[in-house]
Amino acid sequence: MGAWIAFLVIATVLLVGALMVVSARDLVHTVLWLALSLIATAAAYVALHADFLAAAQILLYTGGVVTLMLFAVMLTRRQSGAQVLIDRANGGLRAALLAAALLGLLVTATVRGTPKLVAPTFNVDSTQALGVTFLTRLILPFELLSLLLLAAMVGAIVLARRDGKGVKLARLAPRVVIGQPHDGGEG
Amino acid sequence: MTFPLFGNPWLHGLVAGLVLVLIVMGVAAYAIWYERKFSALMQNRVGPTEVGPIGLLQPIADGLKMLQKEHLVPTAADRPLFLLAPFLVVVFALSTLAVVPFGDGLIIADLNIGVLFALALASLMLIPVWMAGWASNNKYALLGGMRAVAQSISYEIPMLLTATVPIVLSQSFKLGDIVNAQANLHWFVLWPVGPGAIAFVLFMMTALAEANRIPFDIPEAESELVAGVTVEYTGMHFGMFYLAEYLHTLIASAIATALFLGGWDMGPLGSGPHWMILKTLLVFAGIYWVRWSWLRLRSDQLMELCWRWLVPLSLGLVLLSAMWVVWA
Repeated sequence: MGAWIAFLVIATVLLVGALMVVSARDLVHTVLWLALSLIATAAAYVALHADFLAAAQILLYTGGVVTLMLFAVMLTRRQSGAQVLIDRANGGLRAALLAAALLGLLVTATVRGTPKLVAPTFNVDSTQALGVTFLTRLILPFELLSLLLLAAMVGAIVLARRDGKGVKLARLAPRVVIGQPHDGGEG
Repeated sequence: MTFPLFGNPWLHGLVAGLVLVLIVMGVAAYAIWYERKFSALMQNRVGPTEVGPIGLLQPIADGLKMLQKEHLVPTAADRPLFLLAPFLVVVFALSTLAVVPFGDGLIIADLNIGVLFALALASLMLIPVWMAGWASNNKYALLGGMRAVAQSISYEIPMLLTATVPIVLSQSFKLGDIVNAQANLHWFVLWPVGPGAIAFVLFMMTALAEANRIPFDIPEAESELVAGVTVEYTGMHFGMFYLAEYLHTLIASAIATALFLGGWDMGPLGSGPHWMILKTLLVFAGIYWVRWSWLRLRSDQLMELCWRWLVPLSLGLVLLSAMWVVWA
């Protein structure tokens, strides 16, 4: 009963959040609604006894990705507080097609297999099982992924180099020193 | 209290949570009084004296004053975000209390991922701070918010890594288990000699940075940014930011105590929640000491300290402690 109520609350928050992400007009509001739906996803993980996944979800997505998005919003607009509105006039057809395709996929998946809304029962601590699996059976993919992330990080550094030895693309990006007003204090 | 109160987890969470929140709010209010007295002592002043004996009623008077003040919302502000931010700051700060262990079994929720839960909430804190900065529609507030975000995403990394040291040493994410692994004065700050102590110092530094305390309070540097994100807030809304800062520092001290200082253990002197509380308050007082002794770092120095020193150092510490567990 308790799990059912929890699921209903979490699912409602998640769906409302997701709906607002695509319908809010202010870019900043969109990002914050996204944060809400990501937190709700973490709550859903907790309800399914995947504690570690929930913590990782909040640390990486809400703490990391959303923060970076907020940062990007701040660095790309000129006037403080001016609303950044999203233009939804274009691409409506493409979006509708994508949404229809996704809906089709979901419906097929639901019709083919019975949807499982109950938490699987673990005999062991899911966090421990996750750690052991990563360092034994899945060690190769795990290490490969780390390598991929490392390559991405090196790539980001090369793009952002300031001494001119970096890739030309770096010249196109605005150079911003964190913590210093970069547009002459206009606000 | 690991056994849910009245056998009902919902009721247990509600009652235990409410009691703890009320106590900690009271402690945080008096922490403000204590800091004023402490800083006065350091600077050869007397601090608050007028309201009540030795100024003891000052926090209540301050609270009443804030309640009476008018709430102002700037016309150009983003109203819903502006009003939501102060509440979220307090909620996120208080939620961490759920995993703070006060004694053997005296913990609201001894989660499997206790340490990660606390750190995840700490990383969430910066969203309302940023919201306040953005929604105020004020360039000082926005700059403050921007600095807060830059600082938090950088200092989060060494914070996670240094918190990994006790996790590796005790081989558990549970704060209860971590404290139990330090029983009989085997505190991680003392043993193994070296990594534990350095990790404790680094953890405190990153916790100060996350809580925006001096020497890491560049997001609200009053001499250049007026007051950072709180500049447009009045009355109790400002009060909530102020309170959240103290709550955050208080809870960070409690987490540091559990992670490195043995929590409720005091070796031959026995163990109990009173030791946990005493140690937490000592760490807390240490933070004040730092605050009133040091200067603020410039923001580029702040970033350099984090990326050039704290991140590699904490990575090395994790490696060292893993080697200790495997070979010693």
